[in-house]
Amino acid sequence: MDDRQIQIVMDTFWPLLKAGVLYTIPLTLITFALGLIIAVITALIRLSSWRIPKLIAGFYVWIIRGTPLLVQLFIIFYGLPSAGIILSPYISAIIGLSLSVGAYGSEIVRAAILSIQKGQWEASYSLGMTRLQALRRIILPQAARVSIPPLGNSFISLVKDTSLVSVITFVEMFKKSTQYVAYYYEPLLIYCEVGVIYLLFCSVLSVLQNKVEKRLERFSAS
Amino acid sequence: MIEIRGLHKSYGSLEVLKGVDVTLPKGKVLVIIGPSGSGKTTLLRCFNLLEVPDRGSIKLGDNSFEFHAGAKIPQKDILALRKSTGMVFQSFNLFPHMTAIENIMEAQVTVQKKNKGEARKRAEVLLEKVGLADKADSYPHKLSGGQQQRVAIARAMAIDPEVLLFDEPTSALDPELVGDVLKVMKQLAAEGMTMAIVTHEMKFAADVADHIILMDDGLIIEQGSPQEVLNNPKSSRAIQFLNHLNGKSEE
Ligand SMILES: Nc1ncnc2c1ncn2[C@@H]1O[C@H](COP(=O)(O)OP(=O)(O)OP(=O)(O)O)[C@@H](O)[C@H]1O
Ligand SMILES: [Mg+2]
Repeated sequence: MDDRQIQIVMDTFWPLLKAGVLYTIPLTLITFALGLIIAVITALIRLSSWRIPKLIAGFYVWIIRGTPLLVQLFIIFYGLPSAGIILSPYISAIIGLSLSVGAYGSEIVRAAILSIQKGQWEASYSLGMTRLQALRRIILPQAARVSIPPLGNSFISLVKDTSLVSVITFVEMFKKSTQYVAYYYEPLLIYCEVGVIYLLFCSVLSVLQNKVEKRLERFSAS
Repeated sequence: MIEIRGLHKSYGSLEVLKGVDVTLPKGKVLVIIGPSGSGKTTLLRCFNLLEVPDRGSIKLGDNSFEFHAGAKIPQKDILALRKSTGMVFQSFNLFPHMTAIENIMEAQVTVQKKNKGEARKRAEVLLEKVGLADKADSYPHKLSGGQQQRVAIARAMAIDPEVLLFDEPTSALDPELVGDVLKVMKQLAAEGMTMAIVTHEMKFAADVADHIILMDDGLIIEQGSPQEVLNNPKSSRAIQFLNHLNGKSEE
């Protein structure tokens, strides 16, 4: 690196990090929270005996998992206006990402619920609980523990996937870096720089994830 | 207090109960024995409708049920029946995310809508009773099998059931832990708890049972007092089964 490049890094690092903290991280948190709600509802519907809602939920998961997130974002932001639905980049990004988290997450939650032994349901029923009470008090708390490691992975993926919303003109950290590249003509330097910031975010999350998993182990030897 | 008449149950084409009648008066202990696959578990699980029979009737206290093809049993009647029965499973099935005392409080709070303080008090009394007052705050995986099963008994009793159902409560336990669990069950019997117990512990059955039924292939082939069933069985199938059991226990 020559002096000019060092100067560019000095000038762009803080603004990029700031974009990350102000846009990438909040977008990740909001879409993950919404996605989780969608995931749990979808998983419960798919495990229920309501035929029509089950079909709809299965269809939703099939569509989202079978098409690229990039295409989904394009449809929401560039496609829907032709159908008279105009959404801001911010709303489009939140919808696109949460639907994606919801679909993949629902498979994780569903597998976790199915992994809970039948005996837990039977014990709950034998005490006079309804299906809903058994779910809420006995099954979901255990399923939550089972799903935390894979959901942690989804969360880390999501941090990186937020970079995709740059294509629908949402100015988060990655979009910001492309603007710097256009300005300074230093693609290698600046893209590596933004890559390092993503690496930083994800590394911090991995450490947190390990801590959470250690804590969970204390409760469940089985 | 419990009257079961003409109970039939099939899984697909496999007929598991072929017309079973059981009467269990209040305060009495019924022991169900029989070879593997004879339908003991299925019968016991019909008592609290974990399995719904195809035909027959069940009367337990104020709860009466008639089963026949196409009849749907209302969920609220099923719940009412389950609130007056408690069940202890071979594999304990304690809630692993709750401590021993929380396990015992759970149904009191969620099902009976008691407040937590009241539920805790009752749970403490029950833990004391099963000899585990010092384990109140232990999670199930920190307890031995025998301790887990005793917590499970306390959990089943916490809803003040009219009858306790046990499905081979000691079969999953190391031999040295069996005694503690049987002791608790004997004590309950002595206090006048109505119980239906599936077990292979013949000595215990002889001690505690008021009435024994011996099942084979979905039917009751022998029943009566322990003396009658264990010492003077009439049918050759019963003699064969009891000899087989004795042979095993002498090994
Ligand atoms: N859910 C089920 N679906 C299909 N078949 C079943 C089911 N539950 C039990 N069976 C069958 O019904 C028969 C009776 O089973 P049950 O569990 O009542 O026997 P059991 O007398 O309790 O035997 P064991 O001493 O081995 O516990 C067996 O042949 C078993 O395979
Ligand atoms: Mg059995």
